Amino acid sequence: MSLLDALPTPRLRWDGRHPNTVLVSLSLIMLAAFWGLDVVSMAPNRIVQGTSYGALEALGWPGALLATLLLSFIGILAWQPSHRHYRALLAAVMTLMALMPVGLIASSYLLIDPELPQARLGLGATYWVVLFVLLLCLIEIRLRLKLTRLWPTLLLCGVALVWWLCATLWLDSLALVQEFKARDRQFLRAIGQHVTLVGAAVSISVVVGLVLAMLMRRYARLQKGAFAVLNFLQTIPSLALFGLLLAPLAWLAANVPLLGRLGVSGIGTMPALIALIAYSLLPMVRNTYIALEEVSPDTLEAAKGMGMRAGQRFWQVRLPLALPVLLEGVRITTVQAIGLTAVAALIGAGGLGTFIFQGLGQAAMDMVLLGALPILMLALVVDAGLGALAEALRPGGTR
Amino acid sequence: MSNSLSIAQPRKRALLWLWPLMWGTLLLLSVVAMSAAEPLFRWIEPDARQVIYDRADFYVLLGRHLLVVGIAALVTVVVGVSAGIVVTRERGSDFLPLVGQLASLGQTFPPVAVLALAVPVLGFGTLPIIVALMLYGMLPIVRNTLAGLQEVDIDIKTAAHAMGMTPTQTLRYVELPLAAPVILAGIRTSVTINIATAALGATVGASNLGDPIISGIVNGNMAYVVQGALTIALLALTVDSLFEVLQQPLRSRLSAA
Amino acid sequence: MIELSHVSKRFGEETAVDDISLRVPKGKFCALVGTSGCGKSTTLRMINRLIEHSEGDIILDGQAIEVYDPVKLRRRIGYVIQHTGLFPHWNVARNIGLVPRLLKWSAADVQGRVEELMDLLGLPVGEFAHKYPHQLSGGQAQRVGVARALAADPDILLMDEPFGALDPITREKLQDELAKIQARLHKTVVFVTHDMDEALKLADHLVVMREGRIVQQGSPLALLQQPADSFVESLLGGLERGLKQAALTRVKDHMTSMGPTLPAQSRIPADFSLRQALSMMLRDHSDRLTVVDQHDVPIGELSLRRIIKEAQLDKGSARE
Repeated sequence: MSLLDALPTPRLRWDGRHPNTVLVSLSLIMLAAFWGLDVVSMAPNRIVQGTSYGALEALGWPGALLATLLLSFIGILAWQPSHRHYRALLAAVMTLMALMPVGLIASSYLLIDPELPQARLGLGATYWVVLFVLLLCLIEIRLRLKLTRLWPTLLLCGVALVWWLCATLWLDSLALVQEFKARDRQFLRAIGQHVTLVGAAVSISVVVGLVLAMLMRRYARLQKGAFAVLNFLQTIPSLALFGLLLAPLAWLAANVPLLGRLGVSGIGTMPALIALIAYSLLPMVRNTYIALEEVSPDTLEAAKGMGMRAGQRFWQVRLPLALPVLLEGVRITTVQAIGLTAVAALIGAGGLGTFIFQGLGQAAMDMVLLGALPILMLALVVDAGLGALAEALRPGGTR
Repeated sequence: MSNSLSIAQPRKRALLWLWPLMWGTLLLLSVVAMSAAEPLFRWIEPDARQVIYDRADFYVLLGRHLLVVGIAALVTVVVGVSAGIVVTRERGSDFLPLVGQLASLGQTFPPVAVLALAVPVLGFGTLPIIVALMLYGMLPIVRNTLAGLQEVDIDIKTAAHAMGMTPTQTLRYVELPLAAPVILAGIRTSVTINIATAALGATVGASNLGDPIISGIVNGNMAYVVQGALTIALLALTVDSLFEVLQQPLRSRLSAA
Repeated sequence: MIELSHVSKRFGEETAVDDISLRVPKGKFCALVGTSGCGKSTTLRMINRLIEHSEGDIILDGQAIEVYDPVKLRRRIGYVIQHTGLFPHWNVARNIGLVPRLLKWSAADVQGRVEELMDLLGLPVGEFAHKYPHQLSGGQAQRVGVARALAADPDILLMDEPFGALDPITREKLQDELAKIQARLHKTVVFVTHDMDEALKLADHLVVMREGRIVQQGSPLALLQQPADSFVESLLGGLERGLKQAALTRVKDHMTSMGPTLPAQSRIPADFSLRQALSMMLRDHSDRLTVVDQHDVPIGELSLRRIIKEAQLDKGSARE
């Protein structure tokens, strides 16, 4: 009997008698945030600083009571966790998330004077904290119920749909919605630009990364030099690299007419794309190289022994086995690129970063949110999606 | 044989110090004597009225940059390492899966978005960038602390326990020393990433080495951008090579000769 | 002395050790034998409270183990595991001196003790004291492991498959040395192994376990002569059992005085085993051997008929 078998593994304490301290403390944090922090703020127009309201004023007695009950419910269920309780907990978390916009609707009825069409409602700290902690609860429940990432992602998409519906139909007074309505065309274009830029940069770096990694495996001398260059690139701040590419590209556009006609210019998409690719190459090449190298030599030896040719060994053995790690590289690269593209807005590449920097410039925080929130969600969705894909592609399914 | 070893070791150590010394000297030179390179920058921007960024001294910017990164690093190391330790103890083990997931999830949050979300809460200035750096830098540290502590061979931990070491003694004399190289690697990643990321602070009014870059982009003055980028890159290289000096002896003691 | 009475251990629903009782008198060597997962390691680890038992009593030197402070208890009990568990960041001397230092011995005492033990285990101090575990071979590392367990001179030594990961030749050498050390130090040893030959060679008392229960316990000879069931018999090697039994019996216990006939050509030292004697008979095509003492002076003789007759007698006595 090995020592490992004999150890009572603390990570797998599944017996129902043991309270789930994680969920209990998360529930307490949410209760404290709900009663201690501001739920919403209300301003008569865009310029004036809003006044903050607590739970009672913002939701009224019935609303505050319902929220308190639901939040305590999480803690109570978690006290004696069982499979059934975890399912109930999942339902409670989802209900709370879905009820959030309803709470905002209630606040807008309670607080906003219909005489003031300019009045706007801002999300208070409570909403952010509770939303964040609810996501933590979701992660914890997912781990306990041993669900794959797919289900929570689908449920969250459902919740997002509810939010969207509420926002478009009943939440005209929400500051975020007002900011969006004022520039919805611009917003959709920005998302389009953002996704296109990320997509282009990632797909180019996937191809280049694969070729580079394969070259490195063939020419060992290339390996050290290439990694040194790629590592050095990462130490240059993204801000600077974007800036540094402005001048040479402007010069090229001015002096090589063909390139100018192809859309190369000093400002805008081109330098952003080049910088994005430069940053994306290191994680891409590193993961591709490791993925290809990591394949067990025994397996390859066996493949050789069975009489597979070099090409067959690569396409039928090495690549399929390397695929999950390779996808992991694509995931890291994409998530990083989504964030970096936001910075690219500074050199006129467009995208969601435009709202962030414009908002910062005008001290209009709701506009900043309009840029930052979609970026965050985009990153989370890509992370979950590619993570799920890598999990599904792992030989033998999920672990 | 033992003789040749003992002579070879210090020489190798001294060689290791060469890199941080070189990068550090270059960094100091660039900070103190940036104006001496005026002809070079004049060549980059022949038409600009001014080619050396002079709204603040470079050493002041460097100091502020270091301060921001340093405070963020201090907080992240203390919080991140203790969180990693707590959740790997038996009492905190309930939180291990959640913290592990968070550690991998956290880097999904782009620093720009975090910075943007921090501004409404904390206002403009140095504070939001410190918070953004803390969030972004926390994760490599937590992740590596967890990995380092969990990688310690179960047999070694069992032996420590069975020899009558208390949990505190096991942590202090066995687990932490064995996990140190991995933890240090996490701190290194965190700090070097943050040195570059801190430049973003310039967009929310925190004055640091990102200032010349922003100013250069806004005014179309490449020379400014180069000056900011050069100083930040040299700072990153200096710090990174210092970590290498710290890590080397730890690594060589544990790996096969 | 170690005494377990009606001890059980449950992990959740699963019963790892089920109502076992056994007694190891002071200075005796007890081996727990069984296949993987039979609960032998769990039993061992309950003795130094690495695992707390669920039911029954475990008594060390007349006191229930719950009475002892677990940390202090472990410092008083030596423990050796299969993969040594040496601290990779400490050199050999520091690894061996661990428990004395935990017990706050003076630096000089610790150093003296470390050197004494390295001597005992055949590790030259000059060569090994400053080496790190990754610079040692498997056998050397396990010698350090044993030295570390013996460092604070504990009365009790627990060994969990200590030689399981070593190659056969190193393993045999370490077994011989352990036997020699035990003959000198007379520790109370509990030794877990799945290798029956190792257990037969080293133990005074053998405990065979299966699925958490004790199937049979007794002296090696008693088990060989009278296995309780087919499981014990298969562990003992089925048809090879006769030879294993012969390996446990000394020539001098079965020799007869010199007969009137001419002494046989082949000579065998008196402290060799009957198994070696049988092998020599087969090799030399002879049914008689001359037994000699350490100075090669004949002191008696041994015949094939005699060996077979003795085996019958032994079996008869075991049955009673």
